[in-house]
Parts: sequence; C-alpha cells; structure tokens
Amino acid sequence: MIRKRALLVAVLSIASIAAVAVAQEKVVIQYDCIPNYANWGGVTALYKKLAGVTVPPDPKGSSVAMAALEKEKGAPQADTSYYSGAIGFQAAEKGLHEPYKPAGWEKIPAALKDSNGLWWTVHTSAIAFVVNTKALGGAPVPRSWQDLLKPVYKGKIAYDDPTWGGTSYTLIYGLNTLMGGNEKDFKPGLAYLKKLDANVSSYPRESIYNGVLRGEVPIWINADGNGYKMKYVDGGPVEVVIPSEGTFTMPLVMGLVKGAPHKAEAKKYLDWLLTAPAQGEFAKSYFLPVLPGATPKEIAAHFLPAGEYKRARALDLAKMAAAADALKRAWVDEIRGSGR
Amino acid sequence: MARRHPLGSAWTGALLALPLLLFLVAAVAWPIAGLAARAFATNRGAAFGEVLAAGRYRASLVNSLALSSAAAVVSVLLSLWPSWVLARERFRGRDLLRTVISLPLTFSGVLVGFLMVVLLGRVGALPKAIGFLTGREAFAGAAYTFAGLFAAYLYFEVPRAVVTLESAFRHFPRELDMAARALGAGPLERLIKVALPAAAPALRSTLAVTFSASMGSFGVALILSRRFTVAPLEIYTEMTGFLNDEVAGALCLLLALATLVVDRLLSAGRR
Repeated sequence: MIRKRALLVAVLSIASIAAVAVAQEKVVIQYDCIPNYANWGGVTALYKKLAGVTVPPDPKGSSVAMAALEKEKGAPQADTSYYSGAIGFQAAEKGLHEPYKPAGWEKIPAALKDSNGLWWTVHTSAIAFVVNTKALGGAPVPRSWQDLLKPVYKGKIAYDDPTWGGTSYTLIYGLNTLMGGNEKDFKPGLAYLKKLDANVSSYPRESIYNGVLRGEVPIWINADGNGYKMKYVDGGPVEVVIPSEGTFTMPLVMGLVKGAPHKAEAKKYLDWLLTAPAQGEFAKSYFLPVLPGATPKEIAAHFLPAGEYKRARALDLAKMAAAADALKRAWVDEIRGSGR
Repeated sequence: MARRHPLGSAWTGALLALPLLLFLVAAVAWPIAGLAARAFATNRGAAFGEVLAAGRYRASLVNSLALSSAAAVVSVLLSLWPSWVLARERFRGRDLLRTVISLPLTFSGVLVGFLMVVLLGRVGALPKAIGFLTGREAFAGAAYTFAGLFAAYLYFEVPRAVVTLESAFRHFPRELDMAARALGAGPLERLIKVALPAAAPALRSTLAVTFSASMGSFGVALILSRRFTVAPLEIYTEMTGFLNDEVAGALCLLLALATLVVDRLLSAGRR
C-alpha cells in the first residue's frame, strides 16, 4: 500500500516536471523590472499580450542589478537590464553589456545614448518631492531644499539608500553639484544631507511606493513620475514639487547583457520598447518617453507646467559614474555613520 | 534472523552517510572555501584586518553578537511559561494555540519587518489605536528605533524558543520533582536544585538555536534599521552596493566563526 502510494507520487512528480518542461514559454530576463516603477508591470503585460513573451518582474535596484551581472559574468542569467543613467553607464564601462542599436535608435537624442550602443535611454524623469499632503500632520508642503531642513518635517522624510537604488544616487550626486560641490569634492552635498538626516525617518532599501501612498512616509525624495502616478492613477492625496533651488533630470537606460541567454528574443524586446505602444505605456506612469510625441495628451496635461521643469538640470553621466563608488562610500560613512 | 556483520554495517553506514557527506561538501565546505578565497584574494587577507579594525564593519559584528545574545536570552525567558504549559497541560484548543504561536516561523525576515511597520510605523495600527482610545498617539514610528528592531527579533525568536523548549519539556522527568517533594524540599529549592538543572541542557540548546537564527537574520534589519547595523546587512551592502567581495567574504567568515564559537560554548558540558 505504502509502496504503491510512493510509486504514484513519483510518477506524478515526474509527470509534472515533464509538463512544465514541455509548456516552457518564451522569456526575456530583465534585471531591475519593478512592476510599479515606470509602469514596468503594464509594459511587460502588454508585451506578453502582443508578442506572447514573458518578461518576469525583478525587484533589484540599479546598483544591485549591476552587482548581479558582475557576479554572473561567467554564466549570464539576464538578457537585459534597466538602470538609472549613471549606473547603466558604469555597467557598460565594466564590460557587462554588448553593443546593440535597437530599431528607432536614430530618434534618441545623442546625449541620451552611447554612440556604440552599449546603453540607450528609454525614458527620463526628474528628482522631485513626492508629498502625501494628508500625512504631513498640518505642516505646509515643502517648496525648497532649505524647507526640508525645518524641524516641522522631523521624521517625515525618506529617500532611498543610494547604495541600493540609482534614483537616489542621482539625488545625492545632483544635490552635491547644486550645493557647490563637484565630482571630486563631496563636502557641500554631504553637509546638507547630514543636516537633512535629522528629519529623515528611514533610508529604504526596497520600493516604498505603497508606504508613501498609505502615509507611512509623508515626503519621499524620488522620481517625479512616481508621484504623478500616485496622484492620477492611484488617486492618492499627493503633490509633486520641483524644489525652488533646482533639481536634476535622470535618464533611465537599457543595455543588452553580454552573453545574454535569450539574445534573439531580447533584441526583439528591446526594439519593441522604443515603439509608440511601449513608450505610451511608460508614459502612463509619468516617466517621459524618450521618443518625442509619444506622451498621450491627457497624460501630458497632468505634469507640472513646463516652466517648473526649467529648473531641472541634466547631469554629466561620465562624471557621475566615475564618482559613484567614492560618493556612495562617503555617504555610508557620513550618513549611516558608525553603525551603532 | 540475519546476523549482522560488523564490516557490513560499517559499509552500509558509510553508504547511507554518503548523501549527507556530498551535501556538506557542496553546501558548506565548497562555499566557505570560495568565500575564504575571495577574502584572501587581495593583499593576503588584508580584508580581515579591515573588518577587525575599529569602524563600521567591526561595529556590525559586535552589534550582531549583542543583539542576538539579548534576543536569545529574552526570548527563552519569555518562552519558559508558554512552552511549559503547552508541554504539560491538556486543554481545549492547545493544538490550535501551538499552530498560531509557531506561525511567525514561516515568515521571512522582510515580511516580519513589514509587519512591524504596519504595527508600529508612523501610521501604524498600534499608534492609531492608542490615539483613538486616549486622544493622543503613542509609539508612532517606534518600528524604526532600536526597540522596534529588538521587538521584531523577538517576534520570530519567541516562537522558535517555544517550539524547541516544548519538545524538551515533554520529556522532563516529573518523578524527580515528586521525589524531591517527598524528601521535604520546598518549591524554591525544588526549582533551583531539581527543575533548572534538569532543564539546563534544553535551555542551552534553545539559546543556541535562537542565537544562531538571529545572527543570520537579514530581512528585519534591512527594512527597519536606519543607523544601527548588523553583519548580514553590511555583507549585503558590500556585495551589492560596492562589489567588494573581499570585505563581504571576510565578514561572512567572521560571522560564521562567531556563531560557531558561541554554539560550541553553549553545547559544551551538554551530554
């Protein structure tokens, strides 16, 4: 009796393994494919519908994605990866990508792509204050970087750990230039961040999109697109603020992983990401499509007036990439401190 | 009846142990050798010096040791009574209670961290409830403090301690207690001279189990810690944020070594 049952279990498990193997679908593996960031959930679902190819979600931030690619150099697992600009630039420099110029390449402005095709921009974003107005507890909506230092915001601010995510690395690098520092001198930026630390509740190492929406974090310094999406898609009591002293734009880039296991499928997917349907889908989460005119009108109307974005400056990706390790290390030492 | 040949049984034993041996080589020896190789890759193990020098890395190891020891001791103390009751008393709903108590064991650290945020975050359930009852919120944001982190460790260590202690208490020799009572020992004397010595091995092994689990725990600190750091968190940051295999490898080995030493100390003298 027991033997019979064991045999049955064995047969069933072999059969189910075989069934999975037969039913194996076409996949493209993308590192840093967070469903509620830049609407990757919607983009990949649309691709599944149109092309029948699955691109599974992946929770890694840019830095972690690059680290994983570096570890897997000998036996690559991913086909493509998505990054905030400077990290993608760094990954290309480390030789983790191979050149590819997807269809639609010529439509990308020269400053937003590598001339050899090691990385290219799919959309851009700007660093902003994403403010849950209901969670402010009576405090006014902050309008400037100086506002954020006021005691009234104590415990109400969060920005991602820059060793985890590229958005936050863009933030700390940009702030340093804004405060008068440069790629060699981090003191001005770190001095500001140290003062800001008194008001920061946490430095998350995972997406806190839902936490902001719920009011757990009243002020999140992050991509403007995440704020617009909270407001117009999720109906949250959210306001997006471009600080008065200025802010920074961030290109978000893709690259083809060197030795990608599903290379042919990956190339088709990367081509598709630059088509109007895919670009329009990104726009639904308020990340600006790199293809001009791909933003649907009703979406464009939700953005802050163009005048506000005149205060957003572009950063030099090469300098940013070169300073990455030293600045992140300095941030850990100064802001996370001794660890006690 | 077949006669057992000594050589035959040794061969059978070796054969049966083969899967375990292969597993140990593949899952323990090989990765540790790999880590050691990485840690020694540059400058003949300068990474170990870097980790042991005063600073963030050493602080993370010290923090891990202190936090894990405290969590082990407190969770064992908190578990004594519930595990004794579960082991020795019969009552309705005991199995259900045991299942509910051991439920947190199935949660990953990250999930426990999120639960703490939901419970004790800035808009946590507890601060809201207190605010509703008293008109003044309390403990808002406690999840991100050291107390919150410690509570989260207890959250998954207490069930572990209860489960481990309960199985030990089930085999507790009650006759000893009865004999001591018959010989005229009072309750306190019986506790000190009979119950505690008899339970000591179980307490020590429970301490070892909870301590080791805390040393390896990562997700809770990942979600909750703001400044306070533990070794697994530093390993993660070095690996992913800086691609610094040497320091990450050295930290891994030292963390494993510290855990092993404490475990051996706790099991020393245990029969």
